[in-house]
Amino acid sequence: MSIVMAAVEQGLIYGLMALGVYISFRILSFPDLSVDGTFPLGAAVGATLIVAGWNPYAALGVAFAAGAVGGAFTGVLATKFRIQGLLAGVLTMIMLYSLNLRIMGRPNLPLLGRPSVFRLAAQWGGIPMAWANFAVAASLALGAILLLHLLFRTEIGLALRATGDNPGMVRAYGTSPEGMVILGLALANGLVALSGALAAQHGGFADVGLGVGTIVAGLASVIVGEILLRPRSILWALGAVLAGSCLYRGAILVALRYGSAVGFTASDLRLLTALVVLGALVAPAWRLRQEGAG
Amino acid sequence: MILKLAGVRKSYSVGAQLVSALAGVDFALAQGEFVTVIGSNGAGKTTLLNVIAGDTRPDRGKVYLLGRDVTGCPTHRRACWIGRVFQDPRQGAAPHLTVAENLALASRKGRRGLGFPLTRRRRAALREALAGLGMGLEERLSEQVACLSGGERQALAVLMATLARPRLLLLDEHTAALDPANAERVLAITEDLVRAGGLATLMVTHRMDQALVLGDRLVMLHQGRILLDLPSAEKRALAVEDLVRLFRQEGCAEDELLLSSADNAPPRAPLTPGAAAVPRSPKGP
Repeated sequence: MSIVMAAVEQGLIYGLMALGVYISFRILSFPDLSVDGTFPLGAAVGATLIVAGWNPYAALGVAFAAGAVGGAFTGVLATKFRIQGLLAGVLTMIMLYSLNLRIMGRPNLPLLGRPSVFRLAAQWGGIPMAWANFAVAASLALGAILLLHLLFRTEIGLALRATGDNPGMVRAYGTSPEGMVILGLALANGLVALSGALAAQHGGFADVGLGVGTIVAGLASVIVGEILLRPRSILWALGAVLAGSCLYRGAILVALRYGSAVGFTASDLRLLTALVVLGALVAPAWRLRQEGAG
Repeated sequence: MILKLAGVRKSYSVGAQLVSALAGVDFALAQGEFVTVIGSNGAGKTTLLNVIAGDTRPDRGKVYLLGRDVTGCPTHRRACWIGRVFQDPRQGAAPHLTVAENLALASRKGRRGLGFPLTRRRRAALREALAGLGMGLEERLSEQVACLSGGERQALAVLMATLARPRLLLLDEHTAALDPANAERVLAITEDLVRAGGLATLMVTHRMDQALVLGDRLVMLHQGRILLDLPSAEKRALAVEDLVRLFRQEGCAEDELLLSSADNAPPRAPLTPGAAAVPRSPKGP
């Protein structure tokens, strides 16, 4: 039972990151790799502020803003300077690696004994830490999908969604799709950084290597959710991302706990994750060819 | 004057060669005027529309919209005055948004705030506008546009383009990709909406019969220049055969356009303004 709880808890915390990946990849159709830099950026900014004595909630807010600036930077590179989307993201990611080290002043920043949003909730509600962890993660993740659901129904939200779908039409109806890409990437990376800051408070440390493979984990969550729930509306799609994230974390936890029986170690995780994503990407094309042949 | 082009030139480099798409176009469009534009492939029709819409910046010359110089103004900044329908039905709307959401984007053109555009009242208004198309789309407000057929999408695109009351409507062979029945329908819808809004309209077509029947002025483009600019009276006296003869005189007789429309145009008798409703044979080979 505890493994399920742990999976849901981590799934919701990392689910915020997966929501960001969903926005860039699915809504904007923009393959944004800057998330590998903005996830640890959120952790670095959030952790540094907590060590400096800031309120943990305020630290989350600043982390979101920092991530948004990072995402907007990628957006400007891709639209104003016409750098390929993939390359723009990689450039931001590499710059952020150095920047994150500067922010923290060292590669690893422990938060043991420091206040966190989880601890504040436990104190405030007089509940055990395990419940507080779950309650905070759930309310932040559900709050995020509710806000996103509302946002995507506003004028600006419709324009964002149409940008990934048909940028020419967005332009013909009086909105610059370039501006929408910048805005959307800011929102996406804000969520990713928020997730990073939350993960740091949850895990009790920030590390400069925290971001490696973020994009693959995020994509895996998005794809797993889509395959299992086949969402038809935006709200469902956002929910499916969270569900996919929980399942992905659960799979990792199971692999780590029981995988040693088949010679599996933690260092094989990324290979396995990438293979899952690869399979999910290849499967539709393969199925199509089968149908075409039959 | 809704639109004025003064000495507009545009060339593209194709390989090492410089190809002139527009070679000095002067043109003016008055309020409420409906102009059909014909010309062979490569005559500069689409470039002309792109220059007016802002997608293409001319090498030389000026574009004025409502008396304002908009030559350097990007597409989305002049979109509030312009409605546009493309040839490809897929270009007109966002496929993964619903019919209602696409219409909402179109009717709140350029205004992108945090308000919810699909209030109950606006939904009712959109339903009514869709009912006017007579295609049953008013029952499909919540369906994704990807589920619509080409004809339905194009009818929706025409409605979207006219919904925010633009001053100028640009139609770029917008029935060319449709089957004959749907083409007629979309054309009839276009006429209705243009007439109801009193819109200044520029319609590019490759069908000479269409160009003669619709609108009150005809422009023929050839090699980036305006070859003919016929006012209403002269245009009405013209038949497809006359147009073909004019084409031949200008030395573009071997044109693909000429062959396809001369073969398939209906006999000359029904070529009166009301003939838009008469079904036509499909486009030739």
